[in-house]
Amino acid sequence: MLSETTRSDTFEQLALPLFPSLYNHAFWLTRDQAEAEDLVQETFSKALRAFDSFQPSTNFKAWIFRILRNTFLTSRTGIAASRTVFLEDHPDVLDTASADSTPEDNLIRLDNEAALQAALDQLQPPLREALLLCDVEEIKYKDIAVILDVPIGTVMSRISRARRTLRQLLQPQLGESL
Amino acid sequence: MNQTPQTNPSIEHLKPDMLSAFIDSELPPTEQERIEQHLTGCHACTLRVLAATQLKVGTARAGRRFVPPPETLARLTAQLHSQTKPQPQTKQPARIYSIRPAAWAALAAAILLTVSLIGWRQLHQTNTLAAELLDQHLATLSSAATPQVISTDRHTVKPWFQGRLPFSFNLPDAAALPPDTSLKGADLAYLNGQPAALLLFTIHKHEVSIFLTQRANGPTTLNSLPSTRAGFTLHTATTPDLRIVAISDVNPADLDLLLASLVHAQSRL
Repeated sequence: MLSETTRSDTFEQLALPLFPSLYNHAFWLTRDQAEAEDLVQETFSKALRAFDSFQPSTNFKAWIFRILRNTFLTSRTGIAASRTVFLEDHPDVLDTASADSTPEDNLIRLDNEAALQAALDQLQPPLREALLLCDVEEIKYKDIAVILDVPIGTVMSRISRARRTLRQLLQPQLGESL
Repeated sequence: MNQTPQTNPSIEHLKPDMLSAFIDSELPPTEQERIEQHLTGCHACTLRVLAATQLKVGTARAGRRFVPPPETLARLTAQLHSQTKPQPQTKQPARIYSIRPAAWAALAAAILLTVSLIGWRQLHQTNTLAAELLDQHLATLSSAATPQVISTDRHTVKPWFQGRLPFSFNLPDAAALPPDTSLKGADLAYLNGQPAALLLFTIHKHEVSIFLTQRANGPTTLNSLPSTRAGFTLHTATTPDLRIVAISDVNPADLDLLLASLVHAQSRL
């Protein structure tokens, strides 16, 4: 059995490089600096206590992001957020590429980062969460499914829906630069 | 082998979920290949893939928005260290330890903070630079973007940079370029705030962007760029004076041939 110090060192080697990512994701979930910091602290503390249950052959990043998410869901903000019902397959977005726009119209200029930030803010949290895990954290669909505790097909449709919604939100704002 | 025609009009266009999974490289190899084949003959779907890739790159950048205050990591490591300390046998007042272990913990936390932040900053810079390169390459693909110099003649392109760049470079003549490779034009670009020459080539109809920066002042993170990003190949080369980065969706071996010809041309400078 590993000594307590070796176990803790191994944990820190794996976990500390993920600190900026976990903090960024915690901020997206809580939308508050102090809450994000508390959430990350609690995540690290829980993860260290549960580190013996981590299987070395599995993805550590997915494992700790899952702890972060579960910790968030049991927090006051998380419980309040979970009261909002999210309709998984609600067809609230059109496929903008097949609507009345030409394919060239979809080549919007994305140098306006503020517009993209605003569009991300407007996304429904379950869509944004899946998209950020994919595009920002570069986590594979199968691991996102583990983090979000949903089937892989749901991950695929949430990411696709998130992108279509973003495009819909961006087009009126960036229409002039098309 | 040859039972499937190159462009089959009956092949359905990419559905949104498939397009999304395609740019995330989440499809099985056979499906990925089937779509790649469809893209070779379908202009509309190719543009949709390009637009989706642009959005993915933009999201990656915009989503990396919240940076922890510097002291947060120190607080966290201190908390972790206190958690791994052996607990006293009986319940004692909390302040049982002398200041010395606390001082060591603080020192260790400070060292960890510095090392982690340096590592994270380098990784972050590398990712940002790769995103910047990809963005600039994608911008050149848009039909609306026309380079400042449109010429296939190296004797037109090279002099255009005089007075615009704080360094000089050489261009291979058309005969020295690899087969089916041609110069299309050039533009001035900036990488990490440093001026760079952007050369636009095509290899077998694939667009290629080449960025030339001065080695002395250029971004050092170019050395540790990822070799692929969002399905595009990123290859680098250096000469005594220059750093050269090539980005394209062409076969990596063909990209290396072009890089090699550019490196070779610099020896004539």
